[in-house]
Amino acid sequence: MTVTSPHLGTGAEPQARAVPVALPPPTSSWSRAGRALRTFVRRSPMSAFWALVALAVILMAIAAPAIAPYDPLKSNFRVMTKPPSIEHSFGTDQIGRDTLSRVVWGSRASLMVAFGAVLLGTTLGGLWGLASGFFGGRFDIASQRAIEFMQSFPDLVLAMAIAMALGAGTGTVIVAIAITRIPFGGRVIRAVVLSLKEMPFVEAARGLGASNTRLMFRHILPQCVAPFLILATTHLGVSIIIEASLGFLGVGIPPPTPTWGNMLADALNSGLVPPWWLVLFPGLAITITVLAFNLLGDGVRDLLDPRLRGAV
Amino acid sequence: MFGYLLRRLGFGALTVVGVSIVVFVLMRILPGDPLVAIFGSEGFTKLSAAERAHYMAELGLSDPLWLQYVSWVKEIARGNFGRSFFRSESVAEMILRRGPLTAEIAFLSVALSWLVGIPVAIISALRPNSIADNFARFMSILFLAVPGFWLGMLIVLTLLFAFGYRAPLTGASLLTDPRTTLEMIIGPATVLGLGQAAYIARMARSSMLEVVREDYVRTARAKGLSNRLVIALHALPNALLPVITLSGILLGFVLAGSIPVERAFGTPGLGNAMFTAVSERDVFVMQNLVFLYAVVFVLLNLLVDIIIAWLDPRIRLR
Repeated sequence: MTVTSPHLGTGAEPQARAVPVALPPPTSSWSRAGRALRTFVRRSPMSAFWALVALAVILMAIAAPAIAPYDPLKSNFRVMTKPPSIEHSFGTDQIGRDTLSRVVWGSRASLMVAFGAVLLGTTLGGLWGLASGFFGGRFDIASQRAIEFMQSFPDLVLAMAIAMALGAGTGTVIVAIAITRIPFGGRVIRAVVLSLKEMPFVEAARGLGASNTRLMFRHILPQCVAPFLILATTHLGVSIIIEASLGFLGVGIPPPTPTWGNMLADALNSGLVPPWWLVLFPGLAITITVLAFNLLGDGVRDLLDPRLRGAV
Repeated sequence: MFGYLLRRLGFGALTVVGVSIVVFVLMRILPGDPLVAIFGSEGFTKLSAAERAHYMAELGLSDPLWLQYVSWVKEIARGNFGRSFFRSESVAEMILRRGPLTAEIAFLSVALSWLVGIPVAIISALRPNSIADNFARFMSILFLAVPGFWLGMLIVLTLLFAFGYRAPLTGASLLTDPRTTLEMIIGPATVLGLGQAAYIARMARSSMLEVVREDYVRTARAKGLSNRLVIALHALPNALLPVITLSGILLGFVLAGSIPVERAFGTPGLGNAMFTAVSERDVFVMQNLVFLYAVVFVLLNLLVDIIIAWLDPRIRLR
């Protein structure tokens, strides 16, 4: 269920975006970051809490080998399909693999795909939007049609078709999801660039003889960083859900690598009635992670540009 | 209005052509030989080169690509969607048999999303930042994060353990056996409906908050109408315009979302057929189903644009 087509309202005046950069007196970047963090915690404690949860999930993914109590791929035929116990707090699956370890390792696949896809897709889309907004004219019209065209597939179906066409693997899943993210980056950044282009500081730079390349990358691009960050964080959650759905449908990262999606698929394939612990824990992991990243995205948006509340 | 419609229709037709090309290309660069999918890797190695060539020609896969594309489009125009590698039923028959179930799921889920989302949004918007509002917002954020297929699996398990109930799995039509059909579609529709309700509630709340600040709402209040009447008759109709757009777009996404959800419930709809085709690498079925999903999606978006143009005089009278 990935729906919102974020576009900046025309009301989002770009002057405001420049203000946070201009305000603080020249201090070290560390103390500036600390101040921003304190503001963030004070202004939205909920977001700060969920940001911590997101951080915990990221740490879990990085430190998976140290945290997981067992090898996620090693089966132990003495404890097959056992409900949660002291030794295996999340139970074991049909061939005796420890569910907790698999959930912990699953965070790696999930986050790698989500971060990879969002960075790749939003960056490509953003650069495309930058170019089409800056140059305008026929290129812009063609780009707009192309983006509308890309959005004429439901993103899960498009991701499924691409993931299948490219063959199973982590890289292809990243590419498949990234392609579905390109239109969002393209639209949002284009809208920002369109309004920035008319600003006096761009005109001044042009008057001083700056080339198109310099105008684009030196003057306009830095102003696109905040919308880019907002966009990227808000799309992390959606990407995690698409990745899990692909895994669930058998076109994601193939087993034996544990992902939350293919764990749920395994549970369903195990027989008519899947054991509840094989269903509950991977799904809970997805839900908590997506919730954390969504709320983190809201927090980042409010922090960087409060006026976009509800727009992105 | 007429020019606008014509433009939208033209672009819609162009999109469908483009979609068909993309689908065709994706399905042709699919890795692995389709014969491996049909005969299995062992059976495939036993085939002689001549036999392989014969089967490929029989499937029409040895023609040049553009010729394959043209004949595919021609067949579709004739209403012939090809055959599955594994089943005797043609794809067109399968769509006719399974499609209604998925369509019923989709429409019921939209109805449920309005039933849940709109009242919640009104309560939220009437008292922004109250306890009820914050609770509703938290719930909508939560439901945006819950994967539908997982919720579906949980519901199936809970019903099974608590009541020993399992939804019927075999086909029934809405006309001959409405009860069985309802039992089959209510689960997926609830899951998909709750997911949409989260978006609907969010959108309706913010659009409501905008509308109640408009001058004409103040006028309605000033002439002494009760708050309820102002909300129901003056604010709501305008606040619903963006919600209708969103709902139409969501309907398209629900069709895609029903693929994993139908899989989770075991509902024998189109989504499950798609899942089966994907896991069996049944190229022709996939090709036609992906195309069908995309075309329906395009048509829905077109329909939404037309409805909005018809409802909104600012567009209608342009």
